[in-house]
Amino acid sequence: MSIELVDIHKAFGENEVLKGFSLSIQEGQTTSVIGGSGSGKSVALKHIIGLLRPDQGEVWVDGENVSRLDQESLYVLRRNVGYVFQFAALFDSMTLEENVGMGLKRMGEHSDAEIRDRSRKCLQMVDLEGYGDRLPAQLSGGQRKRAGFARAIATQPKYILYDEPTTGLDPLTTAVIDELIMRMADELSVTGLVITHNMTSAFRVSDRIAMLYEGRIRFEGTPDEVRNADDPVVKGFIEGRPELMESMP
Amino acid sequence: MDLILSPVRAVGRGVLTAVGALGRAGYLGLDAAHALRKGSLWAPHLLGQMARVGVESVPLALFIATFTGIVLALQASYTFTGAVPLYFVGTLVGKTMVLELGPVLTGLALSGRVGANIAAEIGTMRVTEQIDALEALAYDPVAYLVVPKVLAGILMFPVVVVLANGIGIVSGWVTAMVLLDMSSQEFVKGLQLFFRPFDIQFSIIKSASFGLTVTAVGCAFGFHTRGGAEGVGRATTRAVVASSMIILVLDAFWGAVLL
Repeated sequence: MSIELVDIHKAFGENEVLKGFSLSIQEGQTTSVIGGSGSGKSVALKHIIGLLRPDQGEVWVDGENVSRLDQESLYVLRRNVGYVFQFAALFDSMTLEENVGMGLKRMGEHSDAEIRDRSRKCLQMVDLEGYGDRLPAQLSGGQRKRAGFARAIATQPKYILYDEPTTGLDPLTTAVIDELIMRMADELSVTGLVITHNMTSAFRVSDRIAMLYEGRIRFEGTPDEVRNADDPVVKGFIEGRPELMESMP
Repeated sequence: MDLILSPVRAVGRGVLTAVGALGRAGYLGLDAAHALRKGSLWAPHLLGQMARVGVESVPLALFIATFTGIVLALQASYTFTGAVPLYFVGTLVGKTMVLELGPVLTGLALSGRVGANIAAEIGTMRVTEQIDALEALAYDPVAYLVVPKVLAGILMFPVVVVLANGIGIVSGWVTAMVLLDMSSQEFVKGLQLFFRPFDIQFSIIKSASFGLTVTAVGCAFGFHTRGGAEGVGRATTRAVVASSMIILVLDAFWGAVLL
């Protein structure tokens, strides 16, 4: 077991977002968590690297209880986890090459030339070769997302967490991003966790899919199992038929 | 009943918000003190921040000081004529610039320039998840963003204020000679009359505390920004208002404690 979230509860003021969220992510697989906007998918993701701490429950990564780690141990753990943010979260005062090299620089194990070289290779992997000197503001939405990928893979992490990687992108760019996620899994053997509400992407990239509904996992299975699920909530969501979900007792 | 209770509730909410903000600022202060040990994260950015906070603020500070010196000389002359020897214009310009107007006016102006800039920058980084990204890349955002800015404020505000004090006195001096028909010797005599080296120390201590206030308050409001562009705007305004108020309170505090 590589990543495990056990009975996570999280509230922001009166708003209880997660109400007993549990999920196991198998090593070497890509798991997608689907669910409506505002259902708490990103909140669950942020618990994995300790950006948020649960009010109740435990988060385990490689046998370490993340919710109990001190700040320094968290920083060590985060070096094994790449995080692709929903809107890329590139540092806008830095060039793409500097952005991509930030994680390597922090590790303190590489010379400037090695960092530059590795950054260029990562940009090349996401088809942004020659863009290293540009600032994030000079890129399109899709290019920014890809640059975010390059930054996440630069340190060769064991895990990559993708927070809504295709939201707001056109179908062609979405396909490019999906392709990248699959390449990360195949070529770099990373374990992936994808947060999405795009069902086409989820079916394309996932080994397993879990549906988050009302603060907890409602259904989990392979893409085929999800496609054939009888649960009206799952069916309603993947087919875009809210009337099925509303008919729930 | 509601008519009575709603103002009470509003006051209660205000107090809770203020206490919450103070608590968060306190935690951030502790984190910043803790982060001082991580020199490899903040030291490479210190010089750049000193240039941004200090060097780039010099023109504004000198502009304010120049006109403050002119007005002080003119008002002193207007007040003293016929009652007090005119060389006291030098005394008033020197004492007022160094003890009060140099540090306070510079502090207030820089709370707008520096404090707003810091709150907007860090606030934007917060709402666009750049601070989360720093954390995800194993950077301590307090060491990386807050510490160099606060240290730059503590180190550079005194430098800017000393320059402002000097320019304010020189502009008052020139005004005295050109517009008030005073001789240079008269102005210098007044300037030296009640001068004590401690005045300079007082000015430096005050301005260092203002530097700490402006940068730390800007960082605190920026760091806890919530909710998009509107949140950044709100954090920026609050940072300027809060640091201006704290500067005025500190001004009175240092006067009571050190003079």
